[in-house]
Amino acid sequence: MKQITLVCAAGMSTSMLVQKMQKAAQAQNVEVEIRATSESSFKEYADKTDVLLIGPQVGYLEDDFKSKYEPKGIKVSVIDRMDYGMMNGEKVLADALSL
Amino acid sequence: MANEKKLSHKLQRYAGKIQQNRYMSAISNGLMSTLPFLIVGAFSTLFSALAWEPYQNFIAPVKGIIGLASTMTTGVIALYAVFFIAYRLAQAFDKDPLVPAATALLSFLILTPVETFDKVRALPLQWLGAQGLFVAMFVGLIASRLYIWIVDRNWTIKMPEGVPPTVVKTFSGLIPAILVAVLFVVISGLFMQTSFVTVHEFIYTYLQVPLEGLGGSLGAMIIALIIMQALWMFGIHGAIVTLAIVKPIWMSLDLANLEAFQAGAPLPNIIGLAFWYIFANYAPMLGFALLLVFLAKSKQLRTIGKLGLPGTFFSIHEPLNFGIPVVLNPLLAVPFIASPIVCAVLGYFATTIGLLPAPIGIYPAFGTPIFALGFIEGSWRLAAAQLVLIPVCMLIYYPFFRILDRQALEREREAQENSEQEGTAGINAGAVTS
Repeated sequence: MKQITLVCAAGMSTSMLVQKMQKAAQAQNVEVEIRATSESSFKEYADKTDVLLIGPQVGYLEDDFKSKYEPKGIKVSVIDRMDYGMMNGEKVLADALSL
Repeated sequence: MANEKKLSHKLQRYAGKIQQNRYMSAISNGLMSTLPFLIVGAFSTLFSALAWEPYQNFIAPVKGIIGLASTMTTGVIALYAVFFIAYRLAQAFDKDPLVPAATALLSFLILTPVETFDKVRALPLQWLGAQGLFVAMFVGLIASRLYIWIVDRNWTIKMPEGVPPTVVKTFSGLIPAILVAVLFVVISGLFMQTSFVTVHEFIYTYLQVPLEGLGGSLGAMIIALIIMQALWMFGIHGAIVTLAIVKPIWMSLDLANLEAFQAGAPLPNIIGLAFWYIFANYAPMLGFALLLVFLAKSKQLRTIGKLGLPGTFFSIHEPLNFGIPVVLNPLLAVPFIASPIVCAVLGYFATTIGLLPAPIGIYPAFGTPIFALGFIEGSWRLAAAQLVLIPVCMLIYYPFFRILDRQALEREREAQENSEQEGTAGINAGAVTS
């Protein structure tokens, strides 16, 4: 099962998006585990993450996280601003799965 | 647009450098880790110092016992801070953090003089609470960094093969811990020769007091708010970047208030983390979201408003910031930057003229709802003030909201005309409502 982890400053607003993504996944019958956490505690979830999505407001973490986690086989991407604002779970999920 | 993107990217990099700086984030995350203890202390303070006479009479026999938990948490918060700051720094350097953290605690205690009062030997609590917080930050960073430096030099005792790994681990911490301890003993000894007698006295007088004076002013809060909001305009989480710098100062101001409140003394500070949270963090975006939900004619804006409104009660603003968007939208720059500043200024003056009490300085945990926070910070008047600021912010946003709504309506009408020309019925609102 694919594991997606979303990070932002405190993991609050990403957790709202996670809910929408989970709903979208359920509707499409996609087996996937999605969670949100703060950027500072992502380390704890690195081993069980296939796709790491970064909230646009902490987009500056991209380079650092890419250099740290891409060698470990984790796909890293920053969530599109508009999709984030509209809490478009369907689109973000589709983008994450196509990475 | 291309230029804005470029500037945005550049700012992102700088913001990242500040927020991700290992030392800054060790302080920030270390202070964050003291949260459970601060909350325990806050409850204890609330229950023991609640200013209601019948209640005070009722608890009088056990007041000291109820307050015990706060004395041993907020009262000695520097002990927790030095440990966690050192811990976080060692973690950032990918080192086993426990021994460096304990070594930092030892170093802090070495700098704190044992005093004798009437034959009782005691550590002065004065330096273990809010007044010792800056020493805790420095010692946490220096002791931990030095420990790591020594470990990296491999100045450790090598054990022969066959010795259990746990034993090896214990001994590997021996030399770094001894060297760090010796350094702090020397520093402590040197200060005893000066008129300050202790490092605490020196740092408090020459660093903490001036920095608190600087950071505790209304001007500093306004500057911090401008930077915060301007960064948000470029899509960067302005609060965590700005707080990486000002949080240590604001938090120590809050803790001084909390100590005073516990002791029944007048609250020394107005500005602090709690003040920022109460006044600048809810009303602006909550007011804006209400305008969107109830007064917007544009379907798109109303939809985003409904999406964003629930979050604004808990100071979560990302759906609005990115959805409308506020980010890179020059039209909204004025109200977005001005409204929290207006709120902070109003709150400040209402406090100085005695209309509102100063916040008691309980750490404002992220996600605490508006109104409830005002109560937690000591008064129904603060809770009410939080609500009064909402219409104020609606007024500030209103003229800009009108223009925004008109623009959105025009776009929607154009989209409709286009789709009618193509012979497809209705507007394609799918992207908005899904």
